[in-house]
Amino acid sequence: MSTTSNDGYYEAFWPRAPRQMQQRKIAPRVSSLDGKTVAQLWDFLFRGDKIFELLEEGLKARYPGIRFVSWREFGSTHGGEERAALALLPERFKALGVDAVISGMAC
Amino acid sequence: MRQAETTSVGLGMPNIPLALVPGHVGTQSEEELRRNILEVTVDRVIQNLTSAMAAKGNRSEPSARQIVFKGGFKAVNHFFYENEYSDGLPIFPPTLEDVEAFLKYTDRAPEEMLGTLLPDNRAATIWSIAVNGVMAGCRPEYMPILVALIEAMCDPQYGVEHSGNTPGGDTLIILNGPIIKQLGFNYTQGALRDGFMPNTSIGRFWRLYLRNVAGFLPHKTDKATFGNTWRVVFAENEDVLQKIGWAPNSVEMGFSAGDNTVTVARYTGGGSLSSVSGSTPEQMLPYLADTVQKYHMWQLTFTVSHGNGALRPLVVISPIIAETIAKAGWSKSDVKRFLFEHARLPAWEFERQLRDWNIRGVWDLEEDVRAGLIPKVFHVSDNPNRLVPIVWDPEHFMIAVGGDPFRNNAYVFAHNGFLGFPVGKKITLPKIWDQFIRDSQSES
Repeated sequence: MSTTSNDGYYEAFWPRAPRQMQQRKIAPRVSSLDGKTVAQLWDFLFRGDKIFELLEEGLKARYPGIRFVSWREFGSTHGGEERAALALLPERFKALGVDAVISGMAC
Repeated sequence: MRQAETTSVGLGMPNIPLALVPGHVGTQSEEELRRNILEVTVDRVIQNLTSAMAAKGNRSEPSARQIVFKGGFKAVNHFFYENEYSDGLPIFPPTLEDVEAFLKYTDRAPEEMLGTLLPDNRAATIWSIAVNGVMAGCRPEYMPILVALIEAMCDPQYGVEHSGNTPGGDTLIILNGPIIKQLGFNYTQGALRDGFMPNTSIGRFWRLYLRNVAGFLPHKTDKATFGNTWRVVFAENEDVLQKIGWAPNSVEMGFSAGDNTVTVARYTGGGSLSSVSGSTPEQMLPYLADTVQKYHMWQLTFTVSHGNGALRPLVVISPIIAETIAKAGWSKSDVKRFLFEHARLPAWEFERQLRDWNIRGVWDLEEDVRAGLIPKVFHVSDNPNRLVPIVWDPEHFMIAVGGDPFRNNAYVFAHNGFLGFPVGKKITLPKIWDQFIRDSQSES
């Protein structure tokens, strides 16, 4: 680091800006997945169709009474219809009796 | 995971539970994927859905106008780099004197918020525009352009939240209007090359603002697999456009001729094509159409269902090409129509690109047409060799004119669809602008 006298003196402002979001509470967890309805949300990326199939298989093996609402019910959560699809979710979850949600796929 | 963790902070859910699939799902065999999901991911999903998540607080941060460092030029730069405030090149320290000089070139209040920007969810304020403009090496009189750019960045149609996607596209800024000459932008030879202060520093400003206010940081929220350095501002050659009677890009974006405007869109690739020879449009345009089609490969995903027809390829042609085409009486719309009809590929190749090579195993053109998701032109017959366009409508092609007036070259930008959709904004000049112009003219 230079300490030479021609390095000047500056009082520099923070270049960022305040965050605007309020911290949101995560929805309460379910005590068990047995007998619960789990919705799948997919962004139509990264083999989600196959991965949800496998998750269903693994979860059903542990919780035989678990029920799934396929990603096909909701449309893609990414892309042209993203905002419309997301806006409808609370209403759709209520109508379909959804207890928990798995959303994928990021990569 | 790191991207999800950092993004969740900006969304106000820092403790959102995440489940990992080990490795990259795109390179795993069916057997590997099955093993990873059943042996690793399922357990994590169960844990996430049934166990309470520990609360996470947000780290405290400086306030909007807080001085975060005092010292010499090199020390300031060291501090800014260490805190991820700079791109690795020296920045101009944003001091009160310099920030105030920028604020003189807008009539808007420093605290005015133009919107909030994901993923960090920070306020896009006039103040922060000035601060980052100083840092980028802009001159104070560039401020009206910087403000218009951040208005564009905040426009939901642009989709700034996608700026960290893995293909690593970069924004191109197109500038139109008298301000090009007033501020000395390069709009001729080397139009996309650094070396011209307004073109270069404003391009850098865009990236710094994405970093500092939107919050895109490599290895965190910016997941560009490769990425590029920022693009310099492309200023259209409006002298040539006027001469040949073609509307500038600004008019095509809905503004009046003579308005000062910025247009932003993200591009993931493309390149130049050299020596577009011929003395008529019919001789020149097949080469252009062929190259436009070849530069749009996986980007065709933005043409089909979930892409919602958002592909907007940009073709920049040099003045001499534009003049030759216009001499034959062709308009920009005629050129776009030609591209629509000739920048085509066989349906089987289109489908192979997306269904077999890209990421969507549950898709074909016929199904999309039948579902009414894309226009009928994509499935006029069952012949797999039928030629299909790369966009929905001829007007989805964008054409701009600039670069070396004496070379017959062109540049194709492969567009990133809804992850950087073209958005235009008018540049609002401050009350002192006329005086500034008079002063500049008398100085020169």
